[in-house]
Formats: sequence, C-alpha cells, structure tokens
Amino acid sequence: MSATNGSDPRSPIVVADHLSKWYGQVIGLNDVSVSVPPGITGLLGPNGAGKSTFMKVITGQLKPSKGTITVLGETIWNNPSLYFRIGFCPEQDSFYERMTGLEWVTALVRLNGLSDADAAEMARRALEAVELTDAANKKIGAYSKGMRQRVKMAQALAHEPHLLILDEPLSGMDPIARRKTIRMVKDWARAGKSIIVSSHILHEIESMTSNILLINQGRILAEGNVHQIRDLIDEHPHTVYIRADQTRALARAFLAQDDVLSLRFEDEAIVVQTGRPDAFYSRLTDLAASGELGAIHEVTSPDDNLQAVFKYLVKS
Amino acid sequence: MKPPPLVRSSIRIFDLSLGQMLWSRRSVFLGVLLGGPVLLALALRILSTLYEAGFRINGVRAAGASIFGMMIWLLYLRFIVPILGVFYGTALIADEVDDKTITYLFTRPIPRRAVVFGKYLAYLACNVLLVLPSVMFVFFLVVPTGGGRIGPAFPSLVTDFGMLIIGLAAYGAVFAFVGTRVKRPLIVGLVFSFGWEPTVLLLPGYLKRLTVAYYLQALVKHEMPQDSAVSLLMQVFREVPSVTVSLLCLAAIIAGTLWLSGQAVESREYVLEQ
Repeated sequence: MSATNGSDPRSPIVVADHLSKWYGQVIGLNDVSVSVPPGITGLLGPNGAGKSTFMKVITGQLKPSKGTITVLGETIWNNPSLYFRIGFCPEQDSFYERMTGLEWVTALVRLNGLSDADAAEMARRALEAVELTDAANKKIGAYSKGMRQRVKMAQALAHEPHLLILDEPLSGMDPIARRKTIRMVKDWARAGKSIIVSSHILHEIESMTSNILLINQGRILAEGNVHQIRDLIDEHPHTVYIRADQTRALARAFLAQDDVLSLRFEDEAIVVQTGRPDAFYSRLTDLAASGELGAIHEVTSPDDNLQAVFKYLVKS
Repeated sequence: MKPPPLVRSSIRIFDLSLGQMLWSRRSVFLGVLLGGPVLLALALRILSTLYEAGFRINGVRAAGASIFGMMIWLLYLRFIVPILGVFYGTALIADEVDDKTITYLFTRPIPRRAVVFGKYLAYLACNVLLVLPSVMFVFFLVVPTGGGRIGPAFPSLVTDFGMLIIGLAAYGAVFAFVGTRVKRPLIVGLVFSFGWEPTVLLLPGYLKRLTVAYYLQALVKHEMPQDSAVSLLMQVFREVPSVTVSLLCLAAIIAGTLWLSGQAVESREYVLEQ
C-alpha cells in the first residue's frame, strides 16, 4: 500500500492552501500555504505558535475558517473514512483511567470496524511495538508518564495507518524512553509510514528528521532543512528541566562539563542551561541508562530559548 | 474503505462508554438519589407495622398500591427521572470534552453522531439498571402496607417499569440535545425540568404540550389517594392526551431531539482547553 494518497508515492501527504483558522478574535493559523512531503516532517514552534491548531486542522477536529486543507489527497473535515489511514497521538494526557492499556487500545481499534478478536490482536501488537506488553493488563491510571505517552502512541498506530500525526510525543518522557521513542518513529518511517511530529524543542525534532516546518504566530516561517535554524538556535542557551532522585549528584556531574552555563535547583529538580544541547542530551541519556546517579524521572525543556530564536528570526 | 454503519459504530461506543458511566462519580450521586425512595419506603413499612390503623389521607385509609403510585409519579417521574436526564443527558459529550478524551473518538472512522447515539444508549442502560432495582424495593416495601397484596398489583409494576424507561429515554434525549446545543446545559435543563414543566402544566392552553411530563402523565395508571392535595394536583395534571398519542409524541420527541443532537455534533468544533 502506498504511504501517500494512493496515486503517487511522492505526492504530498498534507496540502494547505491559504489556510486560516481563528477562534473569535484570536488567530490560530494565518494564511498558511504548505505542502508536507512523505517521510518524517517536524513541526517546530514555541507554545502558542499554532502547532496544535495545525495538528487539529489536519486531523479534522477543527474546520478551516478560510482556505483549504487536504490530507492524503482528500478533505479531512467530516470525512471519517480517512481515519482508516491516519493515526493521531494527541498532546493531552487524558485517558479512560480505569481501563487497562490493552482494553483501551482494543476498544478504540474496534471503532475501526474490526472484530473483537482482530482488534485485541492488533492492540497487542501495537502495545508490543511501544514496549508496553508487560503493562498491557495494568490500569492506565497506574502508568508512569512515559508509559502513558507510549499507550497513546499505541492507539495511534494499532490500526496500521499510512500517516501518523504525533503532537509533542516526547513531552515529559525520561531520557531512555525518549531515545526509544525516537528510534520507533524512525523505524515506522523506514517501514513506509509518513509521520508529522510536533515539538517545541529543536533537538528532539532534529533527532528524528532534518525536514522541518517552522511555525510561529500562526504562520509558517520556514520549511525545509533544519541546519540553518540549528545554527541560529545554537547561539542561544538551551534550558533543560530535569526531575531526578539525586539532583545534587547530577548537579556535580553537570558542573564538571564546560557546556553547562548555569544551574539551579527547583524542588526535586534541577534546571540547567547548556550551550551545546546535543552533547548535553547525549550525556544525560548515558547517565540515565547507567543509573549510577539515581533515577531520572522526567526531562522537559521550557521553550524560552526557542522563543528567543523566533523573535530574532521575525525581526530579521 | 467505508466507515462502519452508524448502528454498529453506536454499539461500539456504547460498549466503550457503559463501564465508564457505571463507575463514574455521577453514579455514586445516582445511588444516593435512588436510595432516598427506598429509605422512605422502608420508613413507611416500619410505621405501618407499628401503627396497624395504617396511613390516612383526610381520614381515608390509603392503600399501599396508591402510595406506591404516588411515589412513582411524584418521586420518580417528576423528580428523579428528570434529574437523571439533566445530569447524564447534558454530560454525554461534555464529559468527554472536559476529560479531553473526545479526540480519541473523533479521530476514528465512525460518524460523529455515533458518539452521541452510543453514549445515549449507555446512559439509558446505566440508568435503567440502577433505577429499576430501586423501584422494585419500593414496590415490595410499600404495596403490602394498608392491607395491600403484591400479586394483583404486580402487573402495574411492569407498566411502571415501561413508563420509567420511556421517561428516562425522553428526558435523556431532550437533555442530550440541550447538552450539544447550548452553553450552560445544566442550568437550562434544571430550569426546564423544575421551572418550565411544573409551571405550564398548571396553566390552561397549549403550552403544556411543550413538555415531556404532559405526555408521560397519560401513561400513569395508578389510583391516587382521594381528597388530598395530591389528588387535586393530579386532577389538574389529568388533562392528558390518550396513551397512543402520548406514546407517539414521546417517540417523536426522542427521535427528533436525538437526530438534532447528532446534527449538532457533526457540525460543531470542540476546542479543548490546553
């Protein structure tokens, strides 16, 4: 089966033409015209840039106020049959908490018209793909943040869609879960799926693809290769929030590195500013994997640094 | 590929929603609400055992079946059923929106209206499963008071069950419609049930036809205790259409409001709070 709209495998998976979306007086998307090619595409922008609005429009949850949008060659609004070919992993951390992961994914896959047995089998495979087999029969309410992110992805990919749309899939994951998820996304792309993934962290997007859409204030500022943007971003310190068991030991390890510009403690977390995010994240993942400085529970990055770059881009 | 048919999709949403609904916090409230009449019936039974003269309304001894009839109309049909309709019906979609789980349902290959229909069926099943045992307890506790016998009164219990199910279906559908169309559905629902309906039922004219209670009361077959305030009230309410007309009108209300709810959900955008 083709990963695109069925006619030409190279044809764009999403085409927006003068697309605008507003909520009353607030503009979510402003005259966006863009073609998203097959493969992995990263949607990068700070919070409030319009990423989620764009995601909601391309998943048919919102109707364009103006302009048109086609996904896999068809309009998406009020076109339920297109959801056979699309899987969506939303940003929000919301579930039917009393269900087990397997029950929940099975129930959602059943909505695709599959028999109970087929739906359960596909759900099992999807949970296996996101490495949640052991926790499949646990209630979602008892899942960690990383497991919740992964079960969300399982429901998105269980019915084997052509196009996966992932809204901030790495948000709140620990470094090891991040690494695994990035690997999974790349594997899915290699298997012929197209993936649109949003994030406010360049480092995350860059680890999955070099093809990005840069969005801010409802407009696509740039599209294409990541390297130019990366050069700009590297001039700005990158902030990382780390929640861990042994924050003081971690702090000592970080301060020994020359790329760490500043560091402060916050409750059970430390907030680090680094001049070289790549090197920093790589070391952090190794530290988490070794476990020698205790467990690292959550890694997030406030988007102040990215916001600064966007301000710079808009001014220039 | 074509999406699964509406009925099949609705049944799948029903399967997904029933468990959630049964074990929700709202069901705890429902349990308390339905425990009230049972406790009242228990008190009546104890009192009737203690005082052999039984209950008298204006000097006339009230039969257990009449008291049961009063409870069905005043407690269940005029209070509990509309309350359940308001609280569950208006929340069919609102709960999914508030919990931000609606996204998972709206990004599946099913018509959006199947979500409303499936959840409505779950509401109906959940409430019927919880209301009927309460009514059974009340029946067995109250009917034997005042020398009443369960056997002859039993067929009326079956009729009451049917009436309650129709009441739940009608109020649920009306408030599902309210929930999908207006901004403050709970307030609108409460005003409709406890402001609009009781008021216009007392007024002469055609306005009462714009209520659910007007059609439901035609289905109430119980004898009420005579010469009481309740019987006077019932005389006013007894300006009713025939059973056939009532059933047809209730069916039209259910079908019409559900269809409009489906239309609303198909065309509306749900913007979830970030």
